[in-house]
Amino acid sequence: MRIHREHSMTNQHPSRRLFLAGLGAVGTTALLSGCVTAGSSSGKSSSGGGAVTLQSNLSAPQAKAAMEDVVAAYAKKGSGKASLNTVAAETFRTQLPTYLTSANPPDVYTWYPGSVADAYAKKDLLLDLGEVWSSPELKGYSKALNTLCTATSGKKVFVPTTYYWWGMFYRKSNFAKWGVQEPKSWDEFLDLCDKLKSKGIAPIGLGAGGNTAWVASAWFDYLDIRINGAVYHRELLAGKHRFDDPEVRKVFDRWAEVLPYVDPNGTAVAFQDATTSLLNGRSGMMLIGTFFADAAPKNALDDIDFFRFPIIDSKVPLAEEAPTDGYFASARTGRRDEVVDLMRYLATAEAQEIYIKGSSGTVLPTNPDAKDAGTPLVQKGRQHIEEAAEITQFFNRDSSDALQPTADTALTKFIAKPKSIGSILTDWQRDAEKIWNA
Amino acid sequence: MAVLTAPERTSPAPPSPRGGRARGPRRTPPMVLAFLLVPLLAEAVWVFWPALQGFYLAFTSWDGVSAPRFVGLGNFREMLHDEVFRTAAVDTVLWLVLFGGLSAVLGLAAALLLQQERRGVGFYRAALFLPVVFSLVATALVWQAIYQPDGVLNQLLQSFGLGSLRHAWLADQDTALYAVIVPALWRQVGYVMVLYLAGLKGIDPALYEAAKVDGAGRRQRFRYVTLPQLRSVNAVVLSVIIIDSLRSFDVVWSLTRGGPYHSSELLSTYMYSTAFQSLRLGYGSALAVVIFVLAFGVIASYLVRAFREAD
Repeated sequence: MRIHREHSMTNQHPSRRLFLAGLGAVGTTALLSGCVTAGSSSGKSSSGGGAVTLQSNLSAPQAKAAMEDVVAAYAKKGSGKASLNTVAAETFRTQLPTYLTSANPPDVYTWYPGSVADAYAKKDLLLDLGEVWSSPELKGYSKALNTLCTATSGKKVFVPTTYYWWGMFYRKSNFAKWGVQEPKSWDEFLDLCDKLKSKGIAPIGLGAGGNTAWVASAWFDYLDIRINGAVYHRELLAGKHRFDDPEVRKVFDRWAEVLPYVDPNGTAVAFQDATTSLLNGRSGMMLIGTFFADAAPKNALDDIDFFRFPIIDSKVPLAEEAPTDGYFASARTGRRDEVVDLMRYLATAEAQEIYIKGSSGTVLPTNPDAKDAGTPLVQKGRQHIEEAAEITQFFNRDSSDALQPTADTALTKFIAKPKSIGSILTDWQRDAEKIWNA
Repeated sequence: MAVLTAPERTSPAPPSPRGGRARGPRRTPPMVLAFLLVPLLAEAVWVFWPALQGFYLAFTSWDGVSAPRFVGLGNFREMLHDEVFRTAAVDTVLWLVLFGGLSAVLGLAAALLLQQERRGVGFYRAALFLPVVFSLVATALVWQAIYQPDGVLNQLLQSFGLGSLRHAWLADQDTALYAVIVPALWRQVGYVMVLYLAGLKGIDPALYEAAKVDGAGRRQRFRYVTLPQLRSVNAVVLSVIIIDSLRSFDVVWSLTRGGPYHSSELLSTYMYSTAFQSLRLGYGSALAVVIFVLAFGVIASYLVRAFREAD
């Protein structure tokens, strides 16, 4: 192909080439006028009516099927229609700003509340969902969720539907076989690691290799909320503290204590492979979110248990990572009333139960009247979150997707070269400033 | 036609060329014009316009959401002090030399080996060419499995008693870049081989016979007949290799995403991650402009040479 093109170019008569070049320049200068900013100029609103377009990043087979069930159930109800458009998660993430700024955007999107939604709300890209929040469907929603879905401007911009939790997951049968128990404190945790290592097992699986380097951020998040607390953590991610501050350094000093126990392949394999190792008993435990259960064989599910990330400083209020998922809508939608109706439905116990039933069932519904999957694991998870005084989301959700790669670079480098932590943190601060100032 | 070749034609408001042409003795038939203008319009909308937008964005700071803010040469100034950019540039040069050089040498060697019409030679040619058919992303997935800590490569090393060499190939900063070059080479060699095979086919056998009669040995025949005869193919191979090196992205992105900590970062992957992960589209565009200038420099110098030879 390429050769053909080059040959045809060489065969062209020179005068014709110049002619083309000249015309091209004329044409493009004329076109240049309205180019770049076209995407950012305010759009019109399409005529109302028709199905609400629901752009979903839930592309895992089970989750996708569950979403289809929800949309079908909504259509059956008869008040409106939604058309589901499932996009691969990575594509969705990179395209989201384009969707939201386009002149004729999709109406409703799966995404995250908190600072991520707030960043879009500050640019007036999100629809005010106050009407949804004052509807009876959301009456029982907790105060914390209410705050989480409120933008800086005071507007409600998000409707949460499910949440899940992070913890130290392990297999009950393996812990019994090795004769070890769940640790409570940091010292007990280190003892446990020691014991497992002496048995020739990699004590801690990581899974920050392949394309899932972000998993390492869970360790940073947890150590930071255990040592410096959730409030400091959120401020740090918002750019109010520096990554090269002594507080952050303390986080890495602690982390260095467990590094010898981390699976040496920790940064070489993706989390899916790391959880396979965990289920096969090659690694002892792993700090991961419940989503990993989507890929676990059904017979292993009953054998999975977890414990709380060990307490380091009992004076720090207990915080847990429990990311909330849900929906926001484009401010440029031409179907505002239909969007509000769909959002109200998505907030009902019925819709959330349909989703939980169709998916792997390890998420918890945000509607207090909705029933969860009811397994002992899920009940333990619910209690695990209720005991926490503070809830954090996850590194990227508490900051921005743009900040995540800076963390990935810093953390994988730290795991490989813990001794150069000083320069790593300086670099991290420098990279983060570029994102904050962008 | 003669009127239209004038270079001033690049100015946006030309003085009515239409009238001039109509009076000219050699009027271009409307059909020809249509064949030229319609594709040109398509090209202008889908290629030139976005490309010019890219150039404009290179002088802005843009997050993809708010309006772009003009920052002049700020992005290019930042590049001067950007360590990651330096790493990426050095890696791109390394990539060019290793990937480009090795694929040319290996491709030529394979072509020389497989140019004779012998039984079964078609099979070997097909086998070498086959990787070109696969998409690079699929290739990368296969190689990712090979490089896994429990993958084929490590198991092979183990079975040969070289267990001490076992390695997390893609996760180690010292090996990541080279581990990524191998799959890219694996694919490129077959492509370059086909180019050279075509070139070798075009050499007049009489030249070899004459050289033989003159008493030239194998090496001399290669040096004084084959290589000079392949000159035009070499030019094509060179430009293909350079362009392919500069746009190498998919294989690196699928295998390492430029990591661990930027150790296998190329200009192309750095551009992508800056633009679409860090959402610094202005700086990303500036990087794209640098890549464009590098690639365009090569293509332009090649085209100029090609035209000079043609005249």
